[in-house]
Amino acid sequence: MGTFYTTGIPALSWKYLVMWAIACFFLYLAIAKNFEPLLLLPIGFGIFLVNFPLVPLMGRNEEGVPQLLQFFYHYGLEWEIIPCVIFLGLGAMTDFGPLIANPKTLLIGAGAQLGVFVTFTGTVLAGFTLKEAASVGIIGGADGPTTIYLTQHLAPQLLGANALAAYSYMAMVPLIQPPIMRLLTTPEERVIRMRQLRPVSKRERILFPLIGAGIIAILVPAVMPLMGMFMLGNLMRESGVVGRLSDTAQNALMNIVTIFLGISVGATMHADKFLSWKPLFIFGLGLLDFAVCTAGGILTVKVMNIFLKEKINPLIGSAGVSAVPMSARVSQMMGQRYDKKNHLLMHAMGPNLAGVIGSAAAAGMFIAMFN
Amino acid sequence: MKRILAVLAFWIMAGGQSWPEDFLGAPLPAGGKVLFRTESRLELQYPMSHDQILGFYRQHFKENKDIRYRDWKAETYIEDDGALPWHSIRISKGETETRVTVTRDSWTWILGTLALRFVGVFVVLLFLYAGMSAAGAVLSRVAKVTETEKK
Repeated sequence: MGTFYTTGIPALSWKYLVMWAIACFFLYLAIAKNFEPLLLLPIGFGIFLVNFPLVPLMGRNEEGVPQLLQFFYHYGLEWEIIPCVIFLGLGAMTDFGPLIANPKTLLIGAGAQLGVFVTFTGTVLAGFTLKEAASVGIIGGADGPTTIYLTQHLAPQLLGANALAAYSYMAMVPLIQPPIMRLLTTPEERVIRMRQLRPVSKRERILFPLIGAGIIAILVPAVMPLMGMFMLGNLMRESGVVGRLSDTAQNALMNIVTIFLGISVGATMHADKFLSWKPLFIFGLGLLDFAVCTAGGILTVKVMNIFLKEKINPLIGSAGVSAVPMSARVSQMMGQRYDKKNHLLMHAMGPNLAGVIGSAAAAGMFIAMFN
Repeated sequence: MKRILAVLAFWIMAGGQSWPEDFLGAPLPAGGKVLFRTESRLELQYPMSHDQILGFYRQHFKENKDIRYRDWKAETYIEDDGALPWHSIRISKGETETRVTVTRDSWTWILGTLALRFVGVFVVLLFLYAGMSAAGAVLSRVAKVTETEKK
């Protein structure tokens, strides 16, 4: 009989069944639907692994030594290392050419942060603390590492729910954005053609990470762990002299930290913590957040068009949410639906990259607010 | 009868001398004299030093991670970033007399600070825009000069 109690069977409860279903749902999205599989697969499996009674994975043993997933979580997320390393890889993968060629699209990235602040208000109204509200609001910025970084900083108890909401909605950008884009644009606006972007010299590309890092470090120093790594990765790419480092940051290193990020985030979602009204509420608000951010980007373009001689196609405004490059692709797809010869992809990459910087700036504002 | 009167007198006097123990859930040290009170604001005067009052609050909030202290020139500002009904406790910097002001959570503050931060994101990206435009202009001029010299 004693042996029976060393198994997990006596401690099983309905809560574990619910969490297995949630884990299987995200595994299904990753494997069958190919929605953000690089993240949703390890997250889903992480949820599955920790939701069994007695498994020595996400706690500490009798001597206080962290168990396997607790170890990853502690050093990767609590120490805020993984999001920064991911930003290094993202920087090394990013071509800022479209943004440098048309820097006014930076403003679209700022406008698209509208939802972050609107959702903050809604979350406070629902009874969340200000720190929790900030961490939920940033989901709309559609930047996974930034969401994780800010949540870990301000409300680590919401990490699993926030990360899952951010990555789920990022994967669903092609479903969420088009109706809002149609609603907020006129048929004439959708067929606006934009002038081809000018070529960007190598010198400009090398200068960009230096200027960007310098300005952000002065104005929003709180977010420099993320943006510093981002700009370093980009400088490694654009300098052309450290191909091996750039290649490692983009591929091997990025892949390694993605595994640890996914499994660590999934492991935070134990039934006892996750099964409450808050995660469900976060999922609901996350959707609203994405919608308002998309609308914010489009409306910013419309306001800019009042003052600009050369009009911008408002369909690229939705790309101001940073989900790179998915939201830029949605702009391209929508543009071609109304004018087959209108290629918006490169134009949309500008606001898309501005969205990465904008959401990081918004996160920095929140960190500064509470520090 | 005398005993009843004595007990009644004690309660009446105690009531007259009493002070609120908390305001909107914010604890208050004993011995304060109410200077001003509305539903959203309470001001008290204490015959104690700033450090004594601050010590009281530090002790009271030592377990609360959502409480933030700001040391300003004329007062200490205690702010709640959690979901408590009060927003701030201000303790004036006095040696013998200290004024404590407790205010309710304010939507004006929340919306104001959010609007300011949203504008802040624009400002950051505007500076970046200006920096990139300036760098672009300088580099294209340098490129033109170099090209002309080559020709």
